[in-house]
Formats: sequence, structure tokens, C-alpha cells
Amino acid sequence: MARFHDLEVTDIRKTIRDAVVVTLKPANGSAAAFDFTQGQYLTFRREFDGEELRRSYSICAGRDDGILQVGIKRVDGGAFSTWANEQLNVGDTVQAMPPMGSFFADLDPANEKQYLGFAGGSGITPVLSILKTTLAREPNSTFTLVYANKGVNTIMFREELEDLKNIYMGRFNVIHVLETDAQEIDLFTGLVTEDKCGQLFRTGWIDIDTVDTAFICGPEPMMLGIAAALRAHGLTDAQIKFELFASSQPGRARKKAISKDAASGANQATAAITLDGATQTIRMPKDESLLDAALSNNMDAPYACKAGVCSTCRCRVLEGEVDMVANHALEDYEVEKGYVLSCQSYPVTDNVVVDYDQ
Amino acid sequence: MTQEMSLDSYLAQGGVLTNPMNVPPRYRAELMKLMTTFVDSELAGAAGFADVINAGPGIKERIAAAKIVLEKTDNANRVLKIMAEFGVDSDRYANHHPWTARLERNADIGASRGDHDMRLAVFNYPLEGWTDAVVMNLLMGRAVTVQLAEFAMVSYQPLAEAFRAIAPIEARHSELAEEGLVKLAEAGTTGAQASINYWWPRVAASFGSAESARFDSLKKMGLRRTPNMDLKSRWAAETGAVLENMGLKAG
Repeated sequence: MARFHDLEVTDIRKTIRDAVVVTLKPANGSAAAFDFTQGQYLTFRREFDGEELRRSYSICAGRDDGILQVGIKRVDGGAFSTWANEQLNVGDTVQAMPPMGSFFADLDPANEKQYLGFAGGSGITPVLSILKTTLAREPNSTFTLVYANKGVNTIMFREELEDLKNIYMGRFNVIHVLETDAQEIDLFTGLVTEDKCGQLFRTGWIDIDTVDTAFICGPEPMMLGIAAALRAHGLTDAQIKFELFASSQPGRARKKAISKDAASGANQATAAITLDGATQTIRMPKDESLLDAALSNNMDAPYACKAGVCSTCRCRVLEGEVDMVANHALEDYEVEKGYVLSCQSYPVTDNVVVDYDQ
Repeated sequence: MTQEMSLDSYLAQGGVLTNPMNVPPRYRAELMKLMTTFVDSELAGAAGFADVINAGPGIKERIAAAKIVLEKTDNANRVLKIMAEFGVDSDRYANHHPWTARLERNADIGASRGDHDMRLAVFNYPLEGWTDAVVMNLLMGRAVTVQLAEFAMVSYQPLAEAFRAIAPIEARHSELAEEGLVKLAEAGTTGAQASINYWWPRVAASFGSAESARFDSLKKMGLRRTPNMDLKSRWAAETGAVLENMGLKAG
């Protein structure tokens, strides 16, 4: 099971006004767990005002760079990204799960492929990792990047991309499309839409007929438009790789408000909890969820989302009554059989017996 | 760059989601259910088939059966890895259900699931010997092929990619079953038709019912495209033709 590891911040620098590139070093001998594939992301967690937030950010380093690096653009009102941009310092420790994600194509030094990448704003981070790794590991492949930004001063990694153009002369090309800043070529101004892609393909800026694989990372409308254009020009779904970037990460469900005082009073229940064949009987406050009670008594109860949606924490109530405050996962017939989501269930009767093994 | 679009409308227009963090709650629940159904069915199917390996009449048949068990377990593992990205403890998951458990041969549970897992109802029935296993594998293998063609287009990209990789492997399993059934017929073995009659309605039930409200909401999320009844008709027509070629009848 994926779990969180400590990582030390070894470098932090601004790439544009409101985005930082953070270099991380796995602590406590967990380096092997962070051996990533180009295009993958890390999921971080941090508590803000007592509530845990989890956020994913793509790795922007290439596999051959020898470092682990993520790009974090500040989102208006975004607690995590604002904190990373304004308060995070070298020497701090952050927590992240090992790299995940399948936004990549398998590489082979013998390949002679033509790759096409589309990035919108901070969507560049995984695409940068992919193109750096690909150009280094497939000496006969080429990569064309279409990079959409608001204006010149919001282009993340602008200098790094210029350097790459010089290193991989003739194999790497960047087309900057800017929403507001006028450019010499009209085609390069505006949004990257289905229309715009069609024009890039027709006017020969991009030789779409030879493209083997396309990567798209950006906001939703941009991804839809580009994908439609690629399909219209003959690419199959298997040739198009998507990464929807972080803008639409939904907020997490609020925890049920727990009054610390109430927990110490007479408002207690006795719960017999069976897990992995062993039963433990505990005293718990009635305003604590069954899952949290089990966890706080060192029982290794299964759970994933703690939001009532994934059903991983499902258990069966054998005796007594509980109140399940949210259920987005269990079917009616399961509820009838006495199954509850333990992360959403609070004891009603003074005695409850629940079983995770059923 | 500044256009706003709701996730619902993005999905309704064919957009794809790419990691657990951009998956909304209801979508996540349906996706988890889809994945657990697949994983549980593969694990239960492999576990049931493992017992049959030794019943294979020759070494080739036993190799084919062992390969099927291996590959179905591997296919379960591929999807379990995606579930792990949602926080599921994959080691515990793979071990805390009794995958070999079966009901009575004559139990009649329709399309309902068991108490312990999300395997398709059909995987709750026991196999009875080699011929029965080959028939079940043929009928269900063809059903899985039809179902995977549908699920290889789900809007969760990592799962769609896993299903695209799994589909040809599962298709090969039903081909092996077809070859096995031809061999049995050549050897003059009887009993295939009785097994077809037993398994046909049970495999047919695995396509689910013609519930429209639920299908519509799944369709809006990009998790379904073709109605259950259309998939079932396709399976019945294709599989019926295969059986007919062997002088057998659909159940």
C-alpha cells in the first residue's frame, strides 16, 4: 500500500512570479521508493487548520537529471500551493507518497518516433519531464511542444526550454502560443483550441501524419479541443495520453465537527471490533467514527478516502445501532445486510459489535 | 487558459480523468465499484479454475489452464495497482476474501452479489470437471471480451489503458477454450451441451439488467457507452455462432 514518506527540501526557486520549483530528497532511506518514471506525480499531504489536505504535483525533472523536483504554481485561494510558494523553506520536511501515474510512453533507445506535446500553463511540469527523458534516452526521436500561456511573463521553465533547444538541435521544437501577448506570427496568438490545432496541422507547423504519440496536459476545455483535433487527424485513443492538471482538484469533505468536551462525558459507547480474526473491545466517544476509534486503538483498519466514497472501510454491524452520516458507495442491498462505511459511522447504542472481516 | 468548465460537462463531452486527485466523489465510488468488480471476478475466476488444472486430459490442456490462471491473476493485479493509487491496501485486498468459495451448483442467485466481495454472480457457481470448465471459460471469456471492449473506453485513463492491455489476453483465453471444446468434440466427449445449458443463462445475467437511470448517470460520467442489453445481444449472437459451428446450441 502506498504510504507517506518524509522528504527534505534541498532547493526552492521561483520559475515565474507565482510558481516555485522544489527539489526534494527522500529521507530515512526511502530513495528507492521515489525512483520515478517521466510524467508521474507526487501526492503531498499537510494539515491546514486541523484538516488534512492532499494535493498532487507533477515531477518536472527528467529521469536522468539525478534529482527529484516538482513544480508548484500558486492557485488563488489554494492553501497548499500558497503555502509552498510563500512559506516553504530549504531544510523543511514535507510528506509525499511515492510517484504515481501513467502519463508516459515506454521508451526504447532504438525508437525513431515523433512525439507531440501540448501543455497549458503549469501543465508543462509533467511534459517537461517527459520531453527531457525522451530526448535523452531516444537519440533518434523528435519532440515538438506546443506550449500555451497567458503572456511571456507567465511561461514556466522558459529558459530551460531554450537550453534544451540548443542541446537537442533539430530534435526539439517549441511553439509558444500566447493568449494576450501579440507575436510575429498571428497563428501563435490566442487559445489552443481545436481550430488552432487544425491550423497548426494544415499549415505545416506540425506534421501530424508522422506523429506516433501525443501528450496533453492542461485545463479541461483545452484538452477536449486538442484531443478532438488529434482524433480528426487520425490519431487513436491509444496514441493520446492525457494528464488533467491540478486546477480541478475537488476539496475534501469536511469532517464531522467534534466537540472535545463532549468526548469526555457520559457520551461513551463500548465497541467490539473484529479485524483480521482478532476482536478488540474498546471504549469510544459516540461522536468519534468507528474507523477513527479503531485506528486510535492501534487497529490496522482498512480505509482510503475517509469521505464515504470508496467503500474500502466497509464493515458489518452485527449488534447495536450506528448512524452512517454519509454513504456514496454502498448499495441499498448492502446497507440492508448491515454493512456500513466505518469512516462515516457513529455509535447510537451503548454497545456495538462490528466486523471488518465479513 | 481562463475558460472555466465544470467537471461534469467536461466528462459529458468525452473528457478523461487521469489521477485520483481530480476524481469527484460520486465518480470515484462508481470507478471503485467497477474496479473491484473486475478484480474480484478475475481473482475468483482464477481461483476456481486453478482447481481444474489437474483435470485437464493432457499436458497441453493443463498448460493452457495454468496459463489462464496465471494471466487472470496478473490481470487482477494490474487493476488492483490502480486501486492502490486510491489508497486501497492491495496486499490485504488480495488476501482477505475467500476467492475459492463457491455456492451450491443449483443455487439460484440471479445477478446478485455475494456477501463477501463484488465478483459477478456467475463466479459464485462451482465448476464440475474439465468439460464444464472449458464451456464456462468459453462462454464467460466471450462475455468478458465484449465487456472489455466497452470498458476499454472508460473516462479514467489509467483504467482504460489497463483494460486495453488486458483485452487481447482475455480474448486469447476464450480462444483456448474454443480449441479445447473442439478437441473434446473430436474425442467424442459428451456433456458439453448440458454445461452450455447450465452456464448460458448465468453468463447472460452478468451483463446486468436494463436499468436506465443508473446507466444514464454512468454514461454522463463517461464510464459507460453501450446499454447492457446491446452488449448482451452482441455476446449472444457471436457466441451462438461459435457454438453452432461446433454443432452445439446456445442455452
